[in-house]
Amino acid sequence: MGDISIDCVGQNCPVPLVETRKALRKASPGDVVEVTGTHPSSKREIPMAAEAMGLEILDVVEDGERWTIRIRK
Amino acid sequence: MQTYTYLDNGAATRLDERVLEAMTPYFLEAYAVATSEFGYSLGIESKEALDVARASLAARLGASPEEFVFTSGDTESSNMALKGVALALGEKKGKHIIVSKIEDFPVLHSAQALERQGFRVTYLPVDGEGVVDLEALEKAIDRETFLVSIQHANQEIGTIQDIAAIGRVCRKKGVLFHTDATHTFTRVSIDVSDVPVDLMSVSAHTIHGPKGIGGLYVRKKTPIAKWMDGGFQEFDLRAGLENIPGAVGFARAADLVTDEENQRLTGMRDRILDRLLNEVPDTVLNGHRSSRVPQNANVSFHYVEGESITLHLDIRGFAVSTGSACFSRSLEGSHVIFGIGGDHERAHGSIRFTLGRFNTVEEVDQVISTTSEVVAQLRRISPLAPHEAPSEEAK
Repeated sequence: MGDISIDCVGQNCPVPLVETRKALRKASPGDVVEVTGTHPSSKREIPMAAEAMGLEILDVVEDGERWTIRIRK
Repeated sequence: MQTYTYLDNGAATRLDERVLEAMTPYFLEAYAVATSEFGYSLGIESKEALDVARASLAARLGASPEEFVFTSGDTESSNMALKGVALALGEKKGKHIIVSKIEDFPVLHSAQALERQGFRVTYLPVDGEGVVDLEALEKAIDRETFLVSIQHANQEIGTIQDIAAIGRVCRKKGVLFHTDATHTFTRVSIDVSDVPVDLMSVSAHTIHGPKGIGGLYVRKKTPIAKWMDGGFQEFDLRAGLENIPGAVGFARAADLVTDEENQRLTGMRDRILDRLLNEVPDTVLNGHRSSRVPQNANVSFHYVEGESITLHLDIRGFAVSTGSACFSRSLEGSHVIFGIGGDHERAHGSIRFTLGRFNTVEEVDQVISTTSEVVAQLRRISPLAPHEAPSEEAK
C-alpha cells in the first residue's frame, strides 16, 4: 500500500493515537506510517502504543512544538 | 496470534453455539410466517415455536404468555412502553411522566420525545451510588402523572434499583410503572407476581442471545396503544413479521443462564473491583458496591482519559468501554457519572468491565494487571497527574 502520512497538528489526545491506529490498520507489513502532531502527551503515548503492538519506531523528530513519529508496520 | 478478551458484554454478547443450534431450523426448515391452525403446516410449526418461546420467556418473569410481546430489542420495547401508554391514555389522566436521570437512551430519549410533544417530564435525581430516592419519587408524583419509568439496573454503573418498593409507591399513587430490565433479565431474579411492575423491557443481546430480538412484558389490562402500524401480530400490539428464529434463540439464551453462572460472574466482578480499588491508587468505584448486577464492574481512574485506557487495552488485547465523551459518540461525557455527582474528570476516566459466560478468572486477572500497567504508564505522561518531579510537559 505504500507509506502513509497523517497530520494531527492541533489535535488533542487521544485523536493522534486514534488516527495512528487507523493508519496502521490500513498499512501493509513493512509500510512506514508517519504521524505529525503538536499535542505533548501524544508524542509519548504513540511510541508507547507502538511498542505494545510490537512495531518498530524508526524515529521521533522534534521541531519546536511540532513532532513527527515514524513507525514501521 | 494475540488472544483477545472481550469484556464489553453490557454492549453485546457473543452468541452461544447452543442458541444458534436452536435457531437454525427456523431459518432453514420451519421458515414460514407464523400462521394459525387454519393455515399450512409449515406456518403452524413456526407459530408453535413462537408460542413455546413466548411461554418460556414469560414464565421466567412469572408472567402469562399473553403478557409477553416480542419486539426488536430493548430500544423498541421502551419506546413502545412510554409512547404506547402515552398514546393510549392521551390526556385522560394528565400529561406528566417521571424517569430517573440515569436511564439508558431508549427511555431517556423517549421521554424527551414526549416532552417535545407537550408532555411534562420529571427527571428524578439519584444518590452518589445511583439509587433513586423513594421519598423524592413519591413527592414527584402529582395528579397529572400517569407513568413512572425507572430502570431495574443501570447500563453503565450496574446499580440495581429496588423496583418492588418503587412499584409499591406507584401502585399506591395509582400510576403505571415501567422498568428497563435489559441488564437484569435472567441475571437478577424478577417475578412480576411479587413485584408490582406493569411494563418491563428485556432483550436477548445481553445474555448471549441474538441481536434484534427483545420483549416487553405488559401486565394484563395495562392501557397501551400500538404505535407502529401494519399487521395484527403480537396481540395486535406490534406489527411486523415475527422474528421466529430470534424468539427461539432468545428463549434458549434465557434458559441457559443459571444461578451458578450468575454467582461465577459475581465472583469475577468482585475480584475486578477489589483488586483495582486496592491496587491502583486514585481509583474510585462507580455505582453501588453490593447492590449491582453480577456482570458489571465500573471504576474511574483519576488523571487519565477513558479513551486512552480503552485504546491501550485494545492494543494489548482487551475490549472494555468508557463513559468518556469521544467513545460514547456524544459530545458530553457519561450522563450517568454526572448523574451520580461525578465531575468531568470522573466521567472521562471511567472504565466499564462487563463480564459474560465465556470469560474466565485468568482473563480477569490479566485485565486487572494490564489495566494497572496502562493506567500507571498513562499517568506518567499525564499533565494532570501529580509527579514527584515536574514532567517535561508540565514545565
